[in-house]
Amino acid sequence: MTLAERLAAYLTRVDGVPTQVEGLSRIYGGASRETYRYDAIAGGKREGFILRRDPPGSLIETDRRAEFLAIRSFAGKSVAAPRAVLLETQGAELERPFFIMRRAEGGSSGSIFNARPYGNHGEAIGRQFFTFLGRIAAEPIEGLPLCEAVEQPAPGDCWRRELDYWAGVIDADEEQPQPIVRAAIRRLRRATPPPAAKISVVHGDYRSGNFLHDGGGEIVAILDWEMAHLGDPLEDLAWAFDPLWSHPQGDTVSGMVTQAEAQAIWEQASGLEVDPAALAWWRLFASVKAQAIWISSAKAWSDGGMVEPILAFSGWFTARRQDEILAAHLAGFGA
Amino acid sequence: MTLALPDILMGQFMALGSPLPPEAGEDYTAARRGMLAMLSALASQEAERGLAARLWENTALRTLFSEATIDYDASLDGRLAQAAAQRDADFTWDGLDAANANLRRLLIELHEAAEARADAALDRRIVDLYVRMAHERRLDLPGGLG
Repeated sequence: MTLAERLAAYLTRVDGVPTQVEGLSRIYGGASRETYRYDAIAGGKREGFILRRDPPGSLIETDRRAEFLAIRSFAGKSVAAPRAVLLETQGAELERPFFIMRRAEGGSSGSIFNARPYGNHGEAIGRQFFTFLGRIAAEPIEGLPLCEAVEQPAPGDCWRRELDYWAGVIDADEEQPQPIVRAAIRRLRRATPPPAAKISVVHGDYRSGNFLHDGGGEIVAILDWEMAHLGDPLEDLAWAFDPLWSHPQGDTVSGMVTQAEAQAIWEQASGLEVDPAALAWWRLFASVKAQAIWISSAKAWSDGGMVEPILAFSGWFTARRQDEILAAHLAGFGA
Repeated sequence: MTLALPDILMGQFMALGSPLPPEAGEDYTAARRGMLAMLSALASQEAERGLAARLWENTALRTLFSEATIDYDASLDGRLAQAAAQRDADFTWDGLDAANANLRRLLIELHEAAEARADAALDRRIVDLYVRMAHERRLDLPGGLG
């Protein structure tokens, strides 16, 4: 049976309605999930969906239940979260765990290869992008579906938990010595940040390339919630600011607004004030986390038979670029 | 240090010879082809300057170790002087990377020792070297992309 046939069988069984699956096609990119688009036809009605299935081996150890519940946590809360509709943790007819969400129609993502990925709509997109992030930070966590799947850290432990985790990823996956990121990790442990002003949902990968826009200045979906957790909301803001996500010749955050404008928009939407020292810490941490992911990419590429070029790109070009960013951060961070 | 050119070129061979997933449509195929093209363009840069970058870095690290010998060689069991006296003899990618890996491990230890002593001058010297090392290893997006 093809994947489309197996998915149709699953949907027919679960929904109790004969369902056809048409136009199932894989979407390129993202190494931690296999992502597919398809149309489901049931009861004479056609609807567009996205299927996110675990790959045989995953680049990032993430929990699809946490991703599913994170998306659900923001349903109808004006942050352009997709509508998550179905979670299957056992794999069933599709053999590996997966979840399904409604497809946001008419959207495309920006690219770091383009200095003006949103044309004349960069400012409008930036205002929404950082407003949505501020709203995610402002959302009270009590009772959110995500809390069923993740632990809540104490405000003073957010930084340590994240740094320990990503330093551990580097320990596990590093195949060659990495003095720059090692120096950054040591520096982060010496100059610890203040406790989080608030425990919030942290998207975990909130950046250009991980949202869809309609080409006319509207964000239609915030995607890739697979690293969502609870923590210091500055983590997301710092991640979005990492120069890696911006065109090298750009003078704005990812072709949107300046960093100062972005911070002001975020502060207004979140009701939180940015502590500059804390943001500096989280910015250096963001580059450490990113480098951990690129180190894992290189290992996954080697271990996977060198067949997936996006892993080679991440583990080679992106890792080299991240070293430049890390070294610049270190030069400006203080001993 | 990240992936080396021979790895990337072997990967191109493996990727081009591997079947696409059955659900790959036109968009998937075009995006993957674009990524392979990007890797080829980056590989041409690495072929042009990758060996020179490795030779420069190995020399720069040995120079640093030589300068730090007086203050730090005893605490690092004489390995700074030993490394500073070595010269590259194997000019293959693997040979230079193997020598570089040993030098980088020692660099990490030296930086840790400098931090333990709050040696701001050496810390600054090493961080400046990191900036230069990263710059020498950089890959530039091709065709006006970056």
